[in-house]
This record gives sequence, C-alpha cells and structure tokens, in this order.
Amino acid sequence: MGRWAPNHVAPKAPPLPARQPLLQASPPAGKLRYHVVRRGQSAAAVGGHRPAPLCCEMAALGARRLLRPGRRWFSETVPDDPAPLAGPLYPPVVASITAKSKAAKSLRLQRFNERVHGAATVEEKLRLYGKLQRPKYMVYPQTFALNADRWYRSFTKTVLVPGMPPRAAAAKPPIAAAGAAENGKAPEPSAEAPGATSAPELSAGTSPYPDMGELRSLACDALLQESFYQKKKRPFLYRDQDHTPGPFLTQLVSTLASFLSGRNPLLAASSLDLNPEVNFYWHHGNEVVVHGHRKGRVDPVRFQIDDNPHLQIRVPKQLPEVVPLESDLGHVPVIDHKPSKLPLFKKQYENKVFIGSKVADPCCYGHTQFHLLPDKLRRERFIKAHLEDQIEVVYRSNGIASLFAWTAAQAMYQGFWNEADVTRPFVSQAVVTDGKYFAFFCYQLNTLALTSETIKNNPRKNICWGTDSKPLYDVVEDGDVKGFNDEVLLQLVNFLLNRPKEL
Amino acid sequence: MAAAGGRRAVYPLFQRGGPQLRIFRPNFFMLAVRPGVPQPEDTVQFRVSMEMTKLDIRNYLERIYNVPVAAVRTRIQYGANNKRNHRNQRVKKPDYKVAYVQLGQGQTFQFPNLFPEKEQDAETRSFDDFRDKYMEKEKQKEEGDPRRGGVPDWFGL
Repeated sequence: MGRWAPNHVAPKAPPLPARQPLLQASPPAGKLRYHVVRRGQSAAAVGGHRPAPLCCEMAALGARRLLRPGRRWFSETVPDDPAPLAGPLYPPVVASITAKSKAAKSLRLQRFNERVHGAATVEEKLRLYGKLQRPKYMVYPQTFALNADRWYRSFTKTVLVPGMPPRAAAAKPPIAAAGAAENGKAPEPSAEAPGATSAPELSAGTSPYPDMGELRSLACDALLQESFYQKKKRPFLYRDQDHTPGPFLTQLVSTLASFLSGRNPLLAASSLDLNPEVNFYWHHGNEVVVHGHRKGRVDPVRFQIDDNPHLQIRVPKQLPEVVPLESDLGHVPVIDHKPSKLPLFKKQYENKVFIGSKVADPCCYGHTQFHLLPDKLRRERFIKAHLEDQIEVVYRSNGIASLFAWTAAQAMYQGFWNEADVTRPFVSQAVVTDGKYFAFFCYQLNTLALTSETIKNNPRKNICWGTDSKPLYDVVEDGDVKGFNDEVLLQLVNFLLNRPKEL
Repeated sequence: MAAAGGRRAVYPLFQRGGPQLRIFRPNFFMLAVRPGVPQPEDTVQFRVSMEMTKLDIRNYLERIYNVPVAAVRTRIQYGANNKRNHRNQRVKKPDYKVAYVQLGQGQTFQFPNLFPEKEQDAETRSFDDFRDKYMEKEKQKEEGDPRRGGVPDWFGL
C-alpha cells in the first residue's frame, strides 16, 4: 500500500494498488469515454482510440492527494459514525416536464396548481390563473340564440328555480300594503310578527313602515320626467333603449337607493356604479383540438363572459346565504353537443376576471345589478317572428350568465378558484328589464369547481331563482301613468332592502 | 297574358304596391342531408343553391312545406381544387351552400337511417356462411405453404 492509502479499508472495496490511477478501479463497461494514460505512456499507444486528455491523469493525481490518512472515499464507511442519512440518497424520480405524455401533462398541471395556491396576493393569483391565452368561447348574456338559458345552465352547473326564494321574516321590511300576504310565505317556524323584530333594527327617528304611496310617487315621477315632461329628439336608429328606458332606470334606482338607505345601512355604505364592466373566465369540460399544430390534444373548453350591466350596487358586507351550501333543488341540464352549435364562437384575447372594481376596493361583494335589454331583443320582434316562448328565455339567459360571472368573480377576488372551492356561498341579485317589463333574479354560487377533474366528485350546484317578466305600468298618457303595478315595485324595494342579518 | 300572334307578352315593371301580375316559381332546390357532426335535435341541415339567402330559405320552408322555422344560419362550403385528371389539369369539386335550420314550436328532427340492416332469413344466412368459408379456402390456397414464412414458391432450387 502506498503512503496515501487509508488506514482502514471497507471489506467490499478492492485494495487500491499503488501507482495506478484511481479512476481505473472498476470502470463500468462501455460508459467511460476516455482511456486512462499511465505515466510515461503516449496516447497513441492506448488502443488507437481518441487521445485521452491529460487532465484525466491530472485528476487522478489530484484525487490521490485527497486520500490522505483520515479521509474517507465513496464506498467506505466510518464504523464509529452513527447511521448514515435516514432519508433517500437520490432525489425522487418524477416525469419529465416537457415530454408529450400524460404523466408530463399531469405534472405540469400539478406544478401550475401549486404555483397558484402559493401565490401571495389575489392579484398574483388572478394573473397566474388567466396567464395562458387560448381560443375560448365568448358567452354573451344578452343573446338572440334559441334556448340559450338551457345551454348556459349546463355551462355553469346552475339549477333554475322559478319564483323568488322565501326570505326570512326578520330580513324583510314590513310594508303595510302587502305585509300580510308576504309574511304568510315565510317558511321559518320561528317567524315572529314583523313589526316586533324590525322595529328595533331600524334607526330611531324614521317611521317603521316605508310608505307605498311615497315609493309609487317616486317611481312615477322618474317615469314621467323621462318619457313625458322632458323634451327629447327622436331616438337614434336602433337605440331606443338609450333614449327613455335607460335614463328612467338610472333615475329610479338612484332615487330609490337614496330613499331607502336610511332603512338599510348596507345601502348607505354601498357603491353605485353606472355601466361597469363584469368579466369572468372559466373552464368546463374537455374537447379535442381539431385544427392547427396542437391537433389531437385534449384541452379544457374555455369560456369568457364580458358583460356591461346598466347599473351595479356593490357593498362591503356579503349578503346572507339563501339555502345551505350543499342543497340540491333541481337538476342541471346536460347537453352532449359542442357549444358551437348554440351558436357560440371562439376568439382569443385577455382572460379577465373583474367584478366592477379592482381587488383593493372595500366594496368587494355584490348586492344588485340592473340590466337593460338591447333593442335587438325587443318583445315586438319576437312576437312578429312567432317566437313568443323565447321572450322569457332572453331574460333568463341574461340573469343566469351575468349573475354567474359576477358571483364567481367575487369569489375569485376572495381567493377561491376551481382547485380551492368556495367555503361559503356567494349571493347576488339582478333585475333584467327592457324599460317596461321587469324580471327579478337571485343567484347563489355554491361551487367554482367546474373543470373536468374537479367536477367529478363535486355534488354542489349553483342555484338561480328567477321570475317571469311583469310590466311595471301599462301606458304613459298625458302626464299620467296608467296601470301601475305595485308588486313589481315592491319586489324591487325588497331587493334593495336585502341585507345581512347582523345589520 | 300571351300576346296575339305568338309574340312574347310584355309585363309592366313591378313596383311595391302594384298589382301582382306574375308569379315566379322558385327554381331553387333544397336537399336535406345527414349532418357530418352531431347536431342538436331541433336543427336540420340542408344543401341549398348558392344564390339562396336566409330569408329565401325561411320562406321556402314555411310557405311550400308549412315547416315552422325559428332560425336559419348559412355558410358556403368551398370545394377543393387539388385533384388532377389524366392531363394534369386541376379538377374542382363544386362549391355549395349549407343551411342549418332550427325548427320552431319545439319540433325535432332526426335524419332517418336510409339503409337499415335487413333481417336475414335462414337461407341467406347459410348462403353467406358458405360463401365466406369458400372465400377463405380460396385465399389460403393462394397464400401457399405457411411453413415457408411468406417466401414465394418459385424461390428455391
């Protein structure tokens, strides 16, 4: 043994001969590319292969110096050391990230999910969520497509329940005119007399009963001002909605909101926006790519809703849930055909998620939205084309799509997404109108998990309550509103007065 | 209103509101086809003349066949020009217009199966079996000895 040989030799390790390069010890067959050159031997003499680099010999010389007495080499263990590292010696064997295989795809998805889960802020989460742009279906809430509400319900996993949800007696304001009829519908067994519970809730100084006559006069004032007293030019072609119904709706809602803010402190702290933008982007189902360089791959079906409601009321506190999170009130229609048969068209642009204001806004929960139907979807046009059953479909599709986009965007603003499903239901309301006919919708978002992986074991469904469209008035003649419908106004006031139980 | 002497009649130019003196029977055709991709139940697919518009299609179906039409969507299918004949000239397949008609009043349509499987009686079945077995035997005779591993029988000494 040379003087560089260690004092102790492991039983399995072969004895290291002196004056021979260390790297010659048990070379694996065929793997070593270089040939060890002994001192004094030329490269050409070594079997005529590629000349071995001299650095190999230098490395061998250097390696010899490492093995001074007391130093350990690879396969040798020190007997008096405690047990070597308890964990695995090698990193885990995972699939490649860039390969065109299912294992690689699932690893990429897993890494993406971990990245989004680990995002520090909500803005970062939204940025990562909508980072990859691909062609997606543009879902229009106000559409002329036939039976669109059925398709929209299948895209958003929504159950449609006709009529308005039964509300707690305490949350409803006691309105003298129709108070008895409404309270009879309340299903709670502990329903108390409305006057007893709500009187202490209201601020002192205001009368406990909002006067129906006052509200009616407010509504009629707004209507007459816009349609009768104010002198306006002829409406622009196909822009009838911007001429009278639009300004009337704005005026009505702003006056009612300011009038009722004394009764509803949530309204006093709310934020009323004109013509805001609401966007949402989500995946639902799978499809095979048909054309292009990605042909044959299985992709999620992407949707985007870009909506511009006429008015929006946002509040700092969330509305209470209507039914528990896991309730099942109906079935969701399942449509086997591709969404393009609706017809629905694809485009690629920014994947935006927006509720009407940015994430830092304190009013980040939704209360009520007001939608105005465009001139293209007038009742008269449908009646002329013998499509009377599609009139209600228009209202329903608008309510379902817009409210789903709004509530889901609110949930994403709180940090939930399809891998991290919502832990509390998000509730919002909407009123869809064409100026004369009003339809009311209430939406409860119970689940955001709509992708093909997350929807498998998800029994939750989103729920939408909706009414048929009813006229607010019959006709406006000579400064007089004929056939005013109090129920519609009552429902509108109920909507505006909706608030969490604590307030 | 044929003129005397066999000359062609001259009609006054029609303007809106005037008397309708002539009736034009459409020279169009509409061919109901089986959709290549599955369509919703209320959608029927037609191949129509290139000059027809959506309004024409709607009126055609409603007035002549009394079919309630809710919506019509059309597209023009380009016929490829890639095939070549024996003179190396390009041969074009003709273009045609496809119309997707959604029926009204909740009606549905399913394209019928024009070539259903016929019920085979015992005679045809036994004849088919006999024929298949005969064809198999002929094929095996042609192939040659399987022990030669596909090598032709003229190969050898």
